[in-house]
Amino acid sequence: MGDSLSSLSFILLYGTSYGLILFIIAIGLVITMGLMRVMNLAHGAFAAIGGYLAVGLMAEAGLSFVPAVLLAVIAVVLLSVVLERLVFSSLYGANELDQVLMTIGVNFIVIGLITIVFGPNVYPVQLPEALRGSVDLGIRDFEIYRLFVIAVGLVVVLGLWMLFDRTSFGAKLRAAVDNPSMTGVIGINVSGIFVVAFGLGSGLAALGGAIGAAMLPLEPYYPMKYLVLVLVVVALSGFGNMKASLAVAVLVGIADTAGRFLVPDFGGFVIYIVLVVLMVVRPQGLFARRTG
Amino acid sequence: MASGISRLAAIAAAGAMALAAATAVAEDSVKVGVVGPMTGPLAVMGKQWRQGIEAYMAAHGDTVNGHKIEVIYRDTTANPSMARQLTQDLVVRDGVQALIGYGISPSAAAAAPVINQAKIPAFLPHAASPGLMAASPYFARMGQNIATNAEVAADWALKKGVKTAYIAVADYAPGHDVAKAFQPAFEAGGGKVVGQDNIPLSTVDFSPFAERIATADPDMVQMFIPPGAQAVSMVKALAARGVMADTLVIGQGEAEDSDIHLFDGTIDNFHTVIYYSQSLDNPENKTFLDSLKATAGADVLPSSFTLGAYDAMGLIYALVADMKGDRIDGPAAMEALAGHSWNSPRGKVTLDMQTREPIQDFVVRQVQQTDAGLRNVVIDTIPQVTPKPTTN
Repeated sequence: MGDSLSSLSFILLYGTSYGLILFIIAIGLVITMGLMRVMNLAHGAFAAIGGYLAVGLMAEAGLSFVPAVLLAVIAVVLLSVVLERLVFSSLYGANELDQVLMTIGVNFIVIGLITIVFGPNVYPVQLPEALRGSVDLGIRDFEIYRLFVIAVGLVVVLGLWMLFDRTSFGAKLRAAVDNPSMTGVIGINVSGIFVVAFGLGSGLAALGGAIGAAMLPLEPYYPMKYLVLVLVVVALSGFGNMKASLAVAVLVGIADTAGRFLVPDFGGFVIYIVLVVLMVVRPQGLFARRTG
Repeated sequence: MASGISRLAAIAAAGAMALAAATAVAEDSVKVGVVGPMTGPLAVMGKQWRQGIEAYMAAHGDTVNGHKIEVIYRDTTANPSMARQLTQDLVVRDGVQALIGYGISPSAAAAAPVINQAKIPAFLPHAASPGLMAASPYFARMGQNIATNAEVAADWALKKGVKTAYIAVADYAPGHDVAKAFQPAFEAGGGKVVGQDNIPLSTVDFSPFAERIATADPDMVQMFIPPGAQAVSMVKALAARGVMADTLVIGQGEAEDSDIHLFDGTIDNFHTVIYYSQSLDNPENKTFLDSLKATAGADVLPSSFTLGAYDAMGLIYALVADMKGDRIDGPAAMEALAGHSWNSPRGKVTLDMQTREPIQDFVVRQVQQTDAGLRNVVIDTIPQVTPKPTTN
């Protein structure tokens, strides 16, 4: 199978770029599930809407890539905050079955709307000239687009780390994740934090959907299709644990890429094997913090 | 269980005949049922069938021999069990006399027992499984047997001097059918298959497969990936790895002209072996394209789905024109269809006497830059290919 350095570099580079897109999309769900204990299966819908809006703004309104992505993210943040107040807030404290049915229903509505507005087929994405082609990294050629995805992923990681570990909002957020009622008792506006976190998570999903559109094609069933991958990341991350979800997402990306590359006949199963093993060994998540 | 089902079907069929007798007296319209995915992930199929049917009716009128043709659409969402139930409804309640549709082979196979009991001709514009025709003597294939393309592709590539091939197919029945047909045909002609990947349908990132293919460095790739998101991702991954530019990549229905814009330019140089190209120059094709533009819109492009439904309507019109009484007589219709030839937009087509598969020209198309943008351009024609009878 060629030289092993080339294979290894392929698996690491492609797996990491794939994993980082999953991270950007999934991190919002990790945060909001940690915070509100709401099983929001419609999370992928925000990624889909972000992707469709960004690509649509480029194709229909002639915007260039960066403003289109930014506008799409802002639009999804606003939309998600409205939806949080109108729809999702009524689910806090509801039982899991109600949450699942309600959010799956939202998914189907979004799928139907996308089909009406953008048609049933794949929505074609045109990458800007600067992101086309490959560069020589010394060990191998690598797509500029995937380098860009890795760069954006790292910026998001750095930004979230600063926000969580270095700001008072981050401290309040972490407190609310650990113990929402106690946090409320000491005078912190927990439901305000909920809204901001929900908007932030949805915005990140939209960002992932938009910049990942060349890797995860936009189609009406997008919210369902990538749900499993997102849920794998969430399940292995544990409630609200950002560091774990970064590690998990990259691990899932690399395991999936390696599985399909090395044992293509079983490649589709590798991430599920990883999932099952880790769920048995670390049911609280990969780097579960000790509580109590 | 089996006897329960066949009893049900028998009751349904008896009901159908009683109802048909009643409706035949009451009106002289002929109803055609179209069963297939109108919504859901395969919705594009149903949409293009409708365009083909409406184009045919616009060009040829809606009345044949005094009988008004009425088309009833039913949505299976690509679910085989719904295909069966909806077929039964169409036969029993609506009294349809011919069927078009099913799209995917499992749906056609699921509806076959109902069709066999009701003895109604069913035209398959897309279902391509090699073994499918054995399920019902009332099936007539309007598209292709998927094994035939793969065999034609192997022969054509060998003639072009290709020595090594990589098979990359989706890991489900049609993909396996392509691989099973391609490999022996290619090896019998002296070629060597250097690798084969059955790509899981769950695949999101196709770059691992592109990497494997690039590493194996074959002269050609025979691929079969479902059209839509997966085909787009696969071709993009191959292009990013340089395979599209320097390797002969032959597919089937991944890149119809109606889908080419989805690939963002990466589809350049993609080859397909199929039975239709909109660039074919014949009067039937001109009628087809003009009528399609008039009914569906100037920017709508035809695909093999559109054509399959269009041709199916043509055969139904011919059956209605030859009708002795007030109904299409299923067994007599199938006898008339076996060996029947007609001039289709794709050229001359003959339904094989035994298999009811179309004997037709196959074309090799290459995606090239044209004045209208990237388009499939016919670079070779393999005349009047007879599909091999299937053994399984």
